[in-house]
Amino acid sequence: MKFLRDFLDSKEHLFHKGGKLEKMYPLYEAIDTFAYTPADVTAGQTHVRDGIDLKRTMITVAMALFPVIIWTLYNTGYQANAVLASTGAEAEGWRASVMAMLNLAHDPANIASNMVYGFLWFFPVFLVTQIAGGTVELIFSVIRKHEINEGFLVTGILYPLILPPTIPLWQVALGIIFGVLVGKEIYGGTGKNIFNPALTARAFLFFAYPAQISGDAVWTAVDGYTGATALGQAAAGGLDAVTYSWSELFFGLVPGSMGETSTLACLLGAVYLIATGIGSWTIMLSVVIGMIVTSMGLNLIGSETNFMFNIPWYYHFVMGGFAFAFVFMATDPVSASMTTKGKWFYGFGIGVMGIVVRCINPAFPEGWMLAILFMNAMGPLIDYFVINSNIKRRMARNG
Amino acid sequence: MGSNVGKTLFVAFALCLVCSVLVSSTAVSLKDKQAQNAVLDMKKNVLSAAGLLNADTDVNEVFSKFTTVLVNLETGEIVDDMDAQTYNQREAQKKPNLSVAIPADADLAGLSRRAKFGKVFVYKDEAGQPQIYIFHITSKGLWSTMYGFMALGADLNTVKGFGYYAQGETPGLGGEVDNPKWKGQWVGKSVFNEDEVVALKLAKGTAPTEGKVAEYRVDGLSGATITANGVSSSIKYWFSDHGYGKFIDMVESGEVTI
Amino acid sequence: MKIKELVFDPILKNNPIALQILGVCSALAVTVQLKNVVVMCVAVTLVIALANMSVSIIRNHIPGSIRIIVQMTIIASLVIIAEQFLKAFLFDQWKTMAVYVGLIITNCIVMGRTEAFALKNGPVASFFDGIGNGLGYSFILLFVGFFRELFGSGKVFGYTVFELSKDGGWYEANGLALLPPSAFFLIGLIIWILRTKDPSQVEPQA
Repeated sequence: MKFLRDFLDSKEHLFHKGGKLEKMYPLYEAIDTFAYTPADVTAGQTHVRDGIDLKRTMITVAMALFPVIIWTLYNTGYQANAVLASTGAEAEGWRASVMAMLNLAHDPANIASNMVYGFLWFFPVFLVTQIAGGTVELIFSVIRKHEINEGFLVTGILYPLILPPTIPLWQVALGIIFGVLVGKEIYGGTGKNIFNPALTARAFLFFAYPAQISGDAVWTAVDGYTGATALGQAAAGGLDAVTYSWSELFFGLVPGSMGETSTLACLLGAVYLIATGIGSWTIMLSVVIGMIVTSMGLNLIGSETNFMFNIPWYYHFVMGGFAFAFVFMATDPVSASMTTKGKWFYGFGIGVMGIVVRCINPAFPEGWMLAILFMNAMGPLIDYFVINSNIKRRMARNG
Repeated sequence: MGSNVGKTLFVAFALCLVCSVLVSSTAVSLKDKQAQNAVLDMKKNVLSAAGLLNADTDVNEVFSKFTTVLVNLETGEIVDDMDAQTYNQREAQKKPNLSVAIPADADLAGLSRRAKFGKVFVYKDEAGQPQIYIFHITSKGLWSTMYGFMALGADLNTVKGFGYYAQGETPGLGGEVDNPKWKGQWVGKSVFNEDEVVALKLAKGTAPTEGKVAEYRVDGLSGATITANGVSSSIKYWFSDHGYGKFIDMVESGEVTI
Repeated sequence: MKIKELVFDPILKNNPIALQILGVCSALAVTVQLKNVVVMCVAVTLVIALANMSVSIIRNHIPGSIRIIVQMTIIASLVIIAEQFLKAFLFDQWKTMAVYVGLIITNCIVMGRTEAFALKNGPVASFFDGIGNGLGYSFILLFVGFFRELFGSGKVFGYTVFELSKDGGWYEANGLALLPPSAFFLIGLIIWILRTKDPSQVEPQA
């Protein structure tokens, strides 16, 4: 590895002020600090609360997503293979050629076949996200003369996971460009954004190209196949119409956005996030409480025309993107509330809003994306009130 | 102070006088032109539903071949003592004296009230035989109430054309009801099946091209279930006995002639 | 002030929408099609210019106590007249814009200019100030309308530029551009561009 260090050192002068590649310094810095400990470390007395930095935070989140990603690969392939096997349809396109080359049949019982086929659907989406989003990130770090940071690493993993497998790649690129630009860079970059960039990107696609990200035709990676998600079925005919059992929904053997199907995988991630102290358990718990309270309230009200009113909370828990949303999306430390008390309000608000959108508004089958973006906007306001009430209390005590 | 109040009153009065003269003279002098526009617009909507509107169509000339009749939806009979030309079914739906409440169990289209009288446009050929009947239909979609026309052929069953002239559904999803390709699918379908029951509706997904139900199905609207239900229910409602059903029966049995 | 400055300053330097953030409501509502944008822009520009001029002519006779109501009456009359003309001569555009023509009355730019400028300046200067602010308003609306129509329907002034995929072309219509909030993004982008070019427009940090 000494060779790499020497190589980086020998080229470093090119990137410093006056060097030939001065403008590209952020790129150099990113490679250098990705491989080695940064040269600039804190000296003297500082107010360190914790030895953790942005890089480690982000990498921990990436680690927590590991079970979700594994499940994404398996389930995306499994859903497609199962449909291919049961309808007898032929897979087409380059993915089918790769599968044939590897001698893998489209067999839902074959784990390797599922994983590889899922990979062939997930990876292009992931790759396009990294290239398109990374380019925007690079352009801004060059213009603003700061280092590329790991903020995009997490966004770039979360975003492909909340898309349906059949999403056209150009839409993936357009979405993440919008998300990084409007969700983050216009506010000043990583750490200053009020909205979650991955959700901003998805919201853009949802409103711009609804046909490719909603409806029944997009959730299984087989051309022309339409299969409703559990949520779609529940909205159309209540719990009786859902053809998946609770445990299937919990483990995630259902069609849906690629990374959102498995509640179990998300909960594993949650355990890791809470154990490492990266994810806020306050927010996670309060979202769940908000969800349970609201859905029980709707159960009590009941409705004969809107089937979603009668879905019990433990089904809300495993259907759609709830688990992914409350574990990975709501806990984004930048766009959430900062104060401890604020986090309770923030999480509870998400839980309430999400169920309201999911059940009461017929236009949107799923509610968490909109609920979280809405509460993102409220986050700073909640903090403001919490801090002000603290100040008032102290004034009353000491003044 | 006295002179100030006087001046204030004078300025206010003079200003109001000048403004009201300006506004009313403009309104009065342009009134005829505006009324013509409104009528022409209505005619265009009707013709475009019937598939008779092209870029170079002389709207007034084509429309002169239409007879407009008012139908009492309760009985199916034609109403003679009202001016069919000036009757506005869309407005009537909102007026208490011209509309009736729809019983909740019959309110398929989610309208809660409907006009007492339906306005039907009938296109007659040279021999004076009715060739096309155009019916005004409405229903609730997802966000808006959708207003449109359904044109049926001489057999009062085959669709000649279908389209909305006012709707506020989601662009790209429900808004696709304005897509000419989709509207084109309606032509040639049948409203009633052999048992004289309304069978025409949107399919879930793509409509079958062959088989028994093919002539009663049009492609669904992908990602717009509520709008699609609204479209289907508007046909089901308006061609049932609560809508134009009785009128159609009476025309077919010869009890009503136009 | 010179007439040239009165007319051209509000376009980039002191834009009513981008700098003063006035009149945003109609910028969201009527910008789906450029055809409507042009009609709206002409209507608004004429109303501002004429309202400004009328107020300025009688500015020395308006009692302070009923100042606002006098301006409102003049603006309202002009808007009603404009709407009557649209209804008579541009019926299709009037139909799609419907209430937003009448809502020119509440367009803050009109009232803002009569109050801030016409009450203190002569009729000629006021007239051109109105034209200038109308142009500034139009500049933003045209920008927003151009991109919304292009991205949302693949057209410019109703002429197809990108063949839509539903008509057999390659372009997939962007549904977001058809929804009013997209105008917020576009106006935000213009403000970003303007303030990057001219940092003096940035408000001082509190």
